[in-house]
Amino acid sequence: MSAEPIIQVTGLHKWFAMLHVLSDISLDVEPREVVCIIGRSGSGKSTLLRCINFLEEPSAGKITVDKLVVEAGNKGRKHRKLVHEIRLKTGMVFQEFNLFPHMSVLENVAEGPITVKKMDRSKAVEIAEMNLDRVGLLFKKDEYPNRLSGGQKQRVAIARALAMEPKVMLFDEPTSALDPELIGEVLNVMKKLAEEGTTMLVVTHEMAFAREVADRVVVMAEGEIIEQGKPVDVFNSPRDSRTQALIERYRSGGAK
Amino acid sequence: MTTDNLKGPSSVIDPHQGMGEALVALQQRRRLIQGLKVSAVWIGLIILVTAAMLMLHISPSYMVQHYDVILQGAGTTLYVSLVSITVATLLALFGSIARLSSNSIAQGISGFYVSLIRGTPLLIQIYVIYLGLPQIGEQLNQLGFPFIGRLFILDAVPAGILALSLNYGAYMTEIFRAGLQSISYGQREAAIALGMTPLQVMRRVVLPQAIRIIIPDVGNQFIAMQKDSALVSVMGVWEITYIANRYARRDSKYMEMFIVAATAYWILTIISSWLQSRLEKRMAQAYER
Repeated sequence: MSAEPIIQVTGLHKWFAMLHVLSDISLDVEPREVVCIIGRSGSGKSTLLRCINFLEEPSAGKITVDKLVVEAGNKGRKHRKLVHEIRLKTGMVFQEFNLFPHMSVLENVAEGPITVKKMDRSKAVEIAEMNLDRVGLLFKKDEYPNRLSGGQKQRVAIARALAMEPKVMLFDEPTSALDPELIGEVLNVMKKLAEEGTTMLVVTHEMAFAREVADRVVVMAEGEIIEQGKPVDVFNSPRDSRTQALIERYRSGGAK
Repeated sequence: MTTDNLKGPSSVIDPHQGMGEALVALQQRRRLIQGLKVSAVWIGLIILVTAAMLMLHISPSYMVQHYDVILQGAGTTLYVSLVSITVATLLALFGSIARLSSNSIAQGISGFYVSLIRGTPLLIQIYVIYLGLPQIGEQLNQLGFPFIGRLFILDAVPAGILALSLNYGAYMTEIFRAGLQSISYGQREAAIALGMTPLQVMRRVVLPQAIRIIIPDVGNQFIAMQKDSALVSVMGVWEITYIANRYARRDSKYMEMFIVAATAYWILTIISSWLQSRLEKRMAQAYER
């Protein structure tokens, strides 16, 4: 871990009105690293992820993505430009997929390159097809999202994010809205991306995935990072009692 | 939750196929009979009303002789309504985007517009535009700005169109706003996360989806407008109501002329409703393939 971290979160706080959702969070993600954030619902893990690409405006602290530094609380054109550039460097996958229902699968994936990067249509289509192939859904390119299963929708959403060629992929509980039998196909795609060396920050309830694929597991509770380390260490010998409870619940079958 | 698997029909033949077919046929027959019964009630009502009219010495021959002047008026009614709904739609589009924007000037202007127009009667708005504005125009003329002054003195038809457009634009702003807001926040977030600017999010993601939701309401507004356009008769625009009124007074045939006028509106709106339902059906198929 000698390279400069690609994501650097420093002293991050987030308040929703009088609710202190994130409290003094600091977290680094190295290039090619896969980091899984686990924790109970309401622990702030999704908010942390959403602060990194400014879907949530942090209340205090500093976010660095690939050498771009943004301080919380700034306003104005320069700030907006920096935030925009950070969004170009991060690809986001949502729990609810959020595919554009009025566009075909191919159009969904080509939309970013065409509208945001002003790329030639033919070149964008080429990139879109390549990324659909990566998630194994090139044969569905002319379908509309409402004709796809949940797992297929999420794989298209992953391809849509990949088509922007981001430096980091952010996954916000990508399998939580899926029927159990559809979770596997999405996790397999994510595993493949990890093996290809994609830098990934994954908020998840899938302990088995975290254990198998992550380089590092970060445990959150009550808006703080309470523990982090190699999956083996965190899962086999958790130090914090809340981590123990989390893993215990997962072992006893209550994965959520 | 959203995982209806749309696999093709299975190739295995169901031995109970006939049962389903019989049930479908029964349902169709019931629906047909119900439709016939409802039609019979309509016809009965029309006969009843007609009989009552004849007993009250309403002259059908007068009505037949004068339906063609009403038909001319229907052309004007339709023209005024079509132009006004187009302008109102544009006003509503910008108005709703302004209402939802974070820009305080845009928010202020659009909120003021909607509140003022929705808070005052259409008839007063027509009077202000047709009779009130020329007063300002005259003053501007006297002050030496005839070019600007002329803009405030409107003929009856443009004044009517302006009044209807402004009025419906305000109501439709609220309809459009609801339509834009009905697009889930996740859609916006996905577009923002891709790096789209607010304008791109609106143009590429929110508007195309919202339009599908808004179109039926625009149809409803168009139907309502055809009837509200009767109010521009106060300015002497030669549309259905004005013509009916004129002939009715001249020949003291009030009931006759207003029945013809009412029928003309009725037929116009029936045609519009039919067109609207066809459009809606086509829109519903848009995402299918």
